[in-house]
Amino acid sequence: MADPFDPLKDGDARPQLAQAEELRRLMREYQAGRFEAFDELYVLLAPALRRYLLSHVRDAAKADDLVQDTFLQMHRARHTYDPALPLTPWATDDVTAMEIPVRGEASAYAEKTDVRRALGQVAANRRAAVIQHHVLGLSFKEIAERAGIAETAAKLRSSRGIAQLRALLRPGKADKS
Amino acid sequence: MSVPAGLRAQIAADYTAIRPLAPPLVRALWVMPLAALALFAAPVVFNVRSDVAQLGWLVSWGVSLLQAAIGLVVIAAALRESVPGRSWTAPALTAWMALPALVVIAVTLVSWQMSVVPLRRGFWFIGALCLGSSAATALPVIALANVIAARAYPVRPAIMGWLLGLGGGLIADAGWRMFCHFSEPSHVLSAHAGGVLLAAIAGLAIALTLRRPAR
Repeated sequence: MADPFDPLKDGDARPQLAQAEELRRLMREYQAGRFEAFDELYVLLAPALRRYLLSHVRDAAKADDLVQDTFLQMHRARHTYDPALPLTPWATDDVTAMEIPVRGEASAYAEKTDVRRALGQVAANRRAAVIQHHVLGLSFKEIAERAGIAETAAKLRSSRGIAQLRALLRPGKADKS
Repeated sequence: MSVPAGLRAQIAADYTAIRPLAPPLVRALWVMPLAALALFAAPVVFNVRSDVAQLGWLVSWGVSLLQAAIGLVVIAAALRESVPGRSWTAPALTAWMALPALVVIAVTLVSWQMSVVPLRRGFWFIGALCLGSSAATALPVIALANVIAARAYPVRPAIMGWLLGLGGGLIADAGWRMFCHFSEPSHVLSAHAGGVLLAAIAGLAIALTLRRPAR
């Protein structure tokens, strides 16, 4: 699955590596004082970020506000980005941290959904792999690097998580409490 | 999708070029002066333990220096944890948290094997003295390390603070063991290990106090 922060995911076949390198270069330039790099970073990252946030809050205006909050946060924390490393995990952690307000605002909706309830019953490491791959769009290689496991193990966790989720969501199986 | 004018103006208002954070190990070195103070304070101000000759340089100062160096590495691990995108995985975190316990146990057993000095009287009084004093000695190191860590944006401040405390506790105990005259494992593994644990709790509390407002 393509990176959700990849603006080219709908068609362009440019390798992900070049995309990651471009993001890294832009962030490096932004740190070094080229303000215009922010505009380019925004163009590259904002659409996927908005999609992700929208899936949580189900409210376009709120999602737009949260996109702005996230970029503001990324701006304030720009000194913490290590130019030697890929940008996506750093930005993903910013989004993860943003989940606190997101979850709060979305909880009224989200906690009522069977999917969220079922996800809560999936084993923690499988759940993490499912969310990172299917929601955040990280590649299995990235998931494996973050969890300190082999890429095949990351794939296995995700597929087993999905299988468990399917089983839980079968009519009559989901916990309705 | 272009940058909204409001956001752009807000960012432009305080935009300056910045220098990225130094690597965690380099930032950990900033606590070196206080770490050295914590290491040498007790043996210099009071005295070195009475069995220092029996232990020899390697098991006395050598082991203490090694323990302090490991404490510094644990602090570096905590400083890495403080940076978004550099969080440790669960297995790595488990290892970092187990390391100080293993170090204290190993140092206790080695010291006991080289020099048997039992604690016959005042177990609780001396225990409380060692526990409180080693934790108090760790406080300046933990406080400074927490201030350094707060410059980043720790996503999991509690974990980071706990690790910082463990590192600071190890450094302080490395000094305190050079003053404490007793090598009895029941004393060392309760009072001295307890001091490291108390330092970890202090690290966690300071990290939660210094954490930035909701992002």
